[in-house]
Amino acid sequence: MSLYSRLVGLFSPLGNLPSEALSYIAESLIMIIIATLGLAFMIYLFRKFMARLQLRIGPNRVGKFGLLQVVADGLKLAGKESIFPKGRDDLPYRVAPLIGMVGLILAFAVLPYGSLFWVGTVTIFDASGTSVSVILLFAIIAIMPIGEVLAGISSRNKYALLGSLRSIAKDVSFEVPMMISVLAVVMMASARTAYPLSINSIVTTEILPYGILEPLGIFVFMVSMVARASYTPFDMGESDSELITGYSTEYSGMRFAMFYMGLFGSILLGSFMVSLFYLGGFNGPLDSSLGVVWLVIKALILVLISFTIWLSMPRIRIDKFVNLGWKYLLPLSMINLILSGILTLGMGW
Amino acid sequence: MSEFVELNFGPQHPSTHGVLRLKAKLDGEIIRELEPVIGYLHRDAEKLCELTFYADNLILFDRMDYVGSMLMESGYLEAAEKILSIDPPERAQWIRVVMNELSRIAAHLVWAGAFGLDLGMLTPFFYCFAERDKILDIFTEICGTRQETNYMSIGGVYQDITPEIMDHILEFTETFPKRLEEIYKLFVKNDVFISRNKGIGVLDRETAIDYGVTGPMLRASGVNYDVRKAKPYLVYDKVNFEVPVSYKGDNLARFLVRFEELRQSVKIVREAVKKIPDGPHFNPKAKKPMMIRLRGDGEYYARTESAKGEFGVYIVGDGGVKPYRVRVRSPTFKNLSVLPVLAKDQMIADMVAISGTLDLVFGEIDR
Amino acid sequence: MIEVKEPRRPIPIVGSISGMVNVARHLFRKPVTVQYPEEKPILPQRFRARIFLRLDDCVGCTLCEQVCPNNSITMQLVDRENPRNKRKIYPDVNFGTCTVCRNCEEICPTDAIYLTHVFETSRTRNSFTYSPQELALQENEVKK
Repeated sequence: MSLYSRLVGLFSPLGNLPSEALSYIAESLIMIIIATLGLAFMIYLFRKFMARLQLRIGPNRVGKFGLLQVVADGLKLAGKESIFPKGRDDLPYRVAPLIGMVGLILAFAVLPYGSLFWVGTVTIFDASGTSVSVILLFAIIAIMPIGEVLAGISSRNKYALLGSLRSIAKDVSFEVPMMISVLAVVMMASARTAYPLSINSIVTTEILPYGILEPLGIFVFMVSMVARASYTPFDMGESDSELITGYSTEYSGMRFAMFYMGLFGSILLGSFMVSLFYLGGFNGPLDSSLGVVWLVIKALILVLISFTIWLSMPRIRIDKFVNLGWKYLLPLSMINLILSGILTLGMGW
Repeated sequence: MSEFVELNFGPQHPSTHGVLRLKAKLDGEIIRELEPVIGYLHRDAEKLCELTFYADNLILFDRMDYVGSMLMESGYLEAAEKILSIDPPERAQWIRVVMNELSRIAAHLVWAGAFGLDLGMLTPFFYCFAERDKILDIFTEICGTRQETNYMSIGGVYQDITPEIMDHILEFTETFPKRLEEIYKLFVKNDVFISRNKGIGVLDRETAIDYGVTGPMLRASGVNYDVRKAKPYLVYDKVNFEVPVSYKGDNLARFLVRFEELRQSVKIVREAVKKIPDGPHFNPKAKKPMMIRLRGDGEYYARTESAKGEFGVYIVGDGGVKPYRVRVRSPTFKNLSVLPVLAKDQMIADMVAISGTLDLVFGEIDR
Repeated sequence: MIEVKEPRRPIPIVGSISGMVNVARHLFRKPVTVQYPEEKPILPQRFRARIFLRLDDCVGCTLCEQVCPNNSITMQLVDRENPRNKRKIYPDVNFGTCTVCRNCEEICPTDAIYLTHVFETSRTRNSFTYSPQELALQENEVKK
């Protein structure tokens, strides 16, 4: 029993096709709301965690323990004027923040979340729809850099231009190792399932978490996810001490908030992806009806690790990062691919 | 020839400590030409010094290097006391040494935190400032304000040091080295930090001397020159400390020299607090209702070692109650002048790191 | 003179992880923040902020006016019987420009003008200047 089939049952008086369509929409909406709430909580968690690491207290004025601080900040940003710089390229300037946000929310809709007590499996496209959700997921993620690029070149600002140039160089150098390291996971899964491109079947059919079988793979993928979300050490594109805020320099108000949420959303998304592909996702020691809980716990631990990386590392230089991507991560991911090929074919894992 | 992109860093920019403006000509990511533009914090302190009494000028000096204000005060008093021919008593000199070194620790901690921010490390900044706050608490105890202290007076210090304050200072010197090593490890154990600093911005010995660079920057380039040793003032010849020197001349060397100076300063404080002799804390010739009637004649140039380098004060007196001319040799100004040389043909990110190691404080450059 | 020794080049990943652990340990340390309106910091004995004036002790010597570095103090004529102050002039203080340098307290021959712990002196733009009578009053008695 899944959330989808429950919804179909709920809408069944409307007839067969309308009820399916409605339940898809309803489930997507639920997912988007949960993802947005997750983002808001991420921002609160980051501020509180950062404050405690830095011997401060953090937000504690709005609401109990400052829980409503994010809401207050959001309201403040929504009420602010969006400044449009002179000489901008209008359409890309307006669209750029939306592209990143849409890509992010869509990516959350593709992920399988396992099952939760009576709700059943919380999965939209994966179980019932497509069987190639890995490809769909990475296609959606590939949308997000377009927003950064458009923001950089449309806002007619040298800092923004430099920021987006750096972002492109960064994206090009980590995407290839990331895809190859995921390819290794898909390859290992193909020995056991008929649908190795479906994240759901990758996770459900695994014996050991792939992170244990492919330590190189999880390292490369984790580094790529840090670079994807672009926080320190890999925040060359928006390095605040060099390029002010990089491609989002000219943005203000709600458009800036979208870039800001995109950053935290990418961290959350990256943590979900690492835990799904490499740490067993919603598999846990107890009953499988706790799947969502396991997934969230794993993701939260990864999120906290990401924050600690963010707060303790200096920024790497852009040419050094390109070196890292092409000279270290790419060979490592290739070695990882070969090793997992040996594991799959030779050892029969 | 190809054209360069002109980019203005500052004066409102997160990495330009204060109000530095840098006009850069960029070839992609690489800086081909760099021109620092200063003067955004110009307050005309040298001229204002001519308009006020010798005793009042102290507060103008407080606001020069505002992160190490005690060092500025003692630098001014070195010259002013010679002009007014009033010598501070022994006890006041020892107190001044203690306060100078505490102030140097505070200034270097501010630098360390801001340098971390320049490189993108968010956290060390707060650890440094938490430690600095303890020093500012000591300053509050001894003179009543945190930053612009106005503690040293002509002929001594305004308030005497008490045993409780001495205990607090000793307690600080007990706890601080542990925290300092923690912050130090946070930096140097990180290979990204090392890769951002090692071999970047190499300042060789000749260039450093040509440009008049002083302080930790000069010592990192392999010149063993410290005013405290070369021409001891106050009672620096009676305390034991070493001058850290490095021959590498790069960012990392400047970082390490400053951290070694922090350790040496703690050593000096610990020693000097115990050695403070009994006696009066100010010269009775400069008793307080007299402080605006002190007349100075002649001219004198005093050199002191501030947190940034050799801080020189040149005072000409014409026999009146106000100085005829005050001229300040600002170490940071000389150190900044070498930035275009260091940053030429470097990447933007490296330029930010190099300007971080210069330890810029704009109150002192613009005065 | 000592030559600083360069630290050993850290092992790539391990060094960063040790830094992360170092930072994460601070999670269990007490925050240094003092939440001001609820908890007041303990101010040291010599903390100085607001200027007070003992009208009976003031002799009207104008030393404080002369020593004030940014001319915050001006002398005012106050109609008040004081045998020691024949000229009947007393200082007033403009707290908009006062930098609490304490020169006036140091120079005062009769200790009439002195600085105190009171630091909550926020007020509107037009009432920065305290008249001599207001300087003698407590902060809550002064018209904002």
